[in-house]
Amino acid sequence: MASTTKSVKPMEQLGSLKSKNKSSSLGGRIKRYANFYVMFIPVLVILFLFYYLPMYGIKYAFTEFTPFGPATWTGLDNFVKLFEARRFWDAFNNTLFLSIINLTLSMVFSVGIALLMNEIGRLFVKKFVQTIIYLPHFLSWVVVAGIFTIILSQETGVVNLVLEKMGFEKIDFLTNESWWRSIFFFINRWKETGWGTIIFIAALSGISPDLYEAAEIDGAGRLKQTWYITIPSLMNTILVVFILNLAKIMNIFESVFVLYNASVYTVSDVIQTYTYRVGMQGTFNYGYSTAVGLFKSFVALILVGFSNFMSSKVTGKGIV
Amino acid sequence: MKKNFAARAATLTVALSVIAGLTACGEKKALNPDIYADKDKYVTYTDGVLTEIKKPDKIKLVTDTNLTIENGREKFRTEYEKLTGIELELEQPAHNQYYEKINLSFAGGEMPDVMEVGNTYYPNYANYGALFDMTDIWNDSDLKNGRLTDWNGDVVTIDEKYVDALKITCDINKDGKVDDNEKDRLYGFPMARGNGTVTYVRGDWLKKLGEENKLGYTHAVNEVPTYKGEEIDFSDDFKAEFGEYIQYMPKNYDEFLSMLRAFKNMKSGTIPITAAGLINSEAPYDIYLREFYQDARPDFYIPEGSDKYVDGMSEPKMLDALQRMQDAFREGLMDREIITNKTSTSRNKFYDGKVGCFNYWSGMWCKNLNQDLQKRNKGGVAVPMPPLEETEYMERPPTAIAITTAAENPWGIYKWICEFSHDGREGQMLFSRGVEGGDIKEVDEKDAGHYKWIEKNKKAEALTPIASPDSKDLVQKSWFSPELSINSFPDPIEIDNKITSSLDMFAKTSRVNPVPKMTLNIADAMTEISTIREEIISKVVKGEMSPAEGVKDYENRAKLEIQTMMRELNGASEA
Repeated sequence: MASTTKSVKPMEQLGSLKSKNKSSSLGGRIKRYANFYVMFIPVLVILFLFYYLPMYGIKYAFTEFTPFGPATWTGLDNFVKLFEARRFWDAFNNTLFLSIINLTLSMVFSVGIALLMNEIGRLFVKKFVQTIIYLPHFLSWVVVAGIFTIILSQETGVVNLVLEKMGFEKIDFLTNESWWRSIFFFINRWKETGWGTIIFIAALSGISPDLYEAAEIDGAGRLKQTWYITIPSLMNTILVVFILNLAKIMNIFESVFVLYNASVYTVSDVIQTYTYRVGMQGTFNYGYSTAVGLFKSFVALILVGFSNFMSSKVTGKGIV
Repeated sequence: MKKNFAARAATLTVALSVIAGLTACGEKKALNPDIYADKDKYVTYTDGVLTEIKKPDKIKLVTDTNLTIENGREKFRTEYEKLTGIELELEQPAHNQYYEKINLSFAGGEMPDVMEVGNTYYPNYANYGALFDMTDIWNDSDLKNGRLTDWNGDVVTIDEKYVDALKITCDINKDGKVDDNEKDRLYGFPMARGNGTVTYVRGDWLKKLGEENKLGYTHAVNEVPTYKGEEIDFSDDFKAEFGEYIQYMPKNYDEFLSMLRAFKNMKSGTIPITAAGLINSEAPYDIYLREFYQDARPDFYIPEGSDKYVDGMSEPKMLDALQRMQDAFREGLMDREIITNKTSTSRNKFYDGKVGCFNYWSGMWCKNLNQDLQKRNKGGVAVPMPPLEETEYMERPPTAIAITTAAENPWGIYKWICEFSHDGREGQMLFSRGVEGGDIKEVDEKDAGHYKWIEKNKKAEALTPIASPDSKDLVQKSWFSPELSINSFPDPIEIDNKITSSLDMFAKTSRVNPVPKMTLNIADAMTEISTIREEIISKVVKGEMSPAEGVKDYENRAKLEIQTMMRELNGASEA
């Protein structure tokens, strides 16, 4: 029986697809997805108004601008002044050091705690622990600084009292350059580790139990399961969180501002605190402050680009 | 022609009526008491010629302190409008965002007509041409020239040193031109005295140790501390409040150290002296720890008998001051946490009864410190100590009410805000004590209504704040601090002895600091210098470097900025 089906050659198939696409391209596609475009309009407007339009203010980085008169074009003067200021480079180095170490510790501790929590069998205990470790996140930095200033007080702080009882010298934790950074990292972890676990706990709950069952049948213990199943499954999430946080590392301010003091400026002053002093407490030179901010954003952009590149190299795909 | 004649006739009539008023009232009653309320125009002399000042229809005022909604901003506004007939638009941004909001209002073209401005920011605003130069208005004003009378008919006199303290030299002259430094121009009017800190001593400890001969020094019972070689003339209030402690007060640095050591040995955990930092964050920078700084000044200043600025940080006497602080810190006489202390933390340590000496504000705080100390320490007394022979106290420049260059009628605003608030009558009552029936009331309430009873020399009393009617505390002020008034104000409310006595002692033993000279380059350089200076002083006091190393480090790191400062302050030859 002769077949009635008309055989279509591959090239013809491609041509028909092309013509179909052509017929529906642009106008057709717009018409087809019109409802989506309408729904996207508010987002677009908000993006434009609050993210892109303010970028017009970048021009002030190239001016001398105070609130009291029109901006005067000064070209790259603000950047020359910025790069010549020794304190700026100290602040720049401190920003990178404090943020990158803090971010690394954050990843290690948050993932670690999330893995441990994942092992807790009893739901009540798990929820109780979660509640306890999330709580510090909701305290403002001012309150946290107050709490730790009391705990670490040289005169009456519990830590120093214990040290003294044990026969050690009292330590001026917050005014000693060699201690300040360690204390800063500790306080940051105390406050934010719990909150940082949320995403990882969510990601852990998404890993298929079949994988663990299969591994168990193959004789893998808890450690091997973690190493060969849990961590690889978490890797994408870890990378996303890392890159998202990396973009924000130049914004470190409040945690430093409430904890630093004159005797530790060398190890604690960051770009944001430097900008605050110059812009708000000094000469109201917003042009210079904008230049500092622009440079900071530029560095953040490089960092994100670098992370994305590294992600592509390591996992075969980037996220940006 | 007719119009011209009518105008001349009107002017003549006004002039004649004022002259008639002057003649009729004699020396004391120079002006009609209700002149601020009754006339659309105010008549005064300008350069010896009678001038009419138009009353503003509306004034936009921005304040930073005390006039919050909870403190009754609305009743203040209503009362002001009732007294003057001027519409008052009154705003008070959150204190921690005050200057940010002010700057935004300038950037956005929504400037106030008049605003409160602290002495740190005042020269900056003036330098950017944001403030109206009121030097000429002040010179011609009725207040300066003794043409205002108070409740009692006495001429209102003003302590001009507080006005002079706000005179500065800017980059911008009165015509708004840059780089034409005009000297000693006035861009703001003092709200009240700037006040300053004194060293409070635990009087009960001092007396006990003195009676037990444990202070390491003794004075005769009637021996009076001296200031600049002369015995301090303590007021009767001071003697009544703190007289029993005077003979035990240390008179010089050696005795002061001896007293601190006695405090330290008294009880384990005692902090002999504390303060809210080693250096103040605004001028005068050496307002705290006067016993240690003595004659050294960590700032650029003009020494007595000179007309050139010097850098106080680089002077040999600063080495001595730093050494004194380092030694005291090492010996455990100074609070180990003085670098991180906030005002509240150091205050709390004092209230807790841990501290022997505490450097804090005179006046109202003398009363507050004693009250709160006694709540937690029965018998505790905070006695304001006179300065040691080697030093003096520092009074900061006053906070200003400044008219902005956006104001259309600066003369009118000066008259109805700056002068009205210091008129010795209704205006000053409103600005300092508040609204009758809301903040204060006449004691016997027989003549209540618009302060009229004050003319009969009747006394008033403060009420509880409207926001907390059950509070035991009474309204202390509406906006300006009445106890820090800069003019002869017959205040109908009695001020607590502790407040008056500490202020009196402070006034007799302190120097008013002027607002520092400011140019755009100085403002730029000072940001960096302040940071380095604060860091160096902290490190030296903690013993991380010697005073000599510290000063050398300061001179190296701030070399360019110091050169800029000296060039700007003393002229090109200093570059």
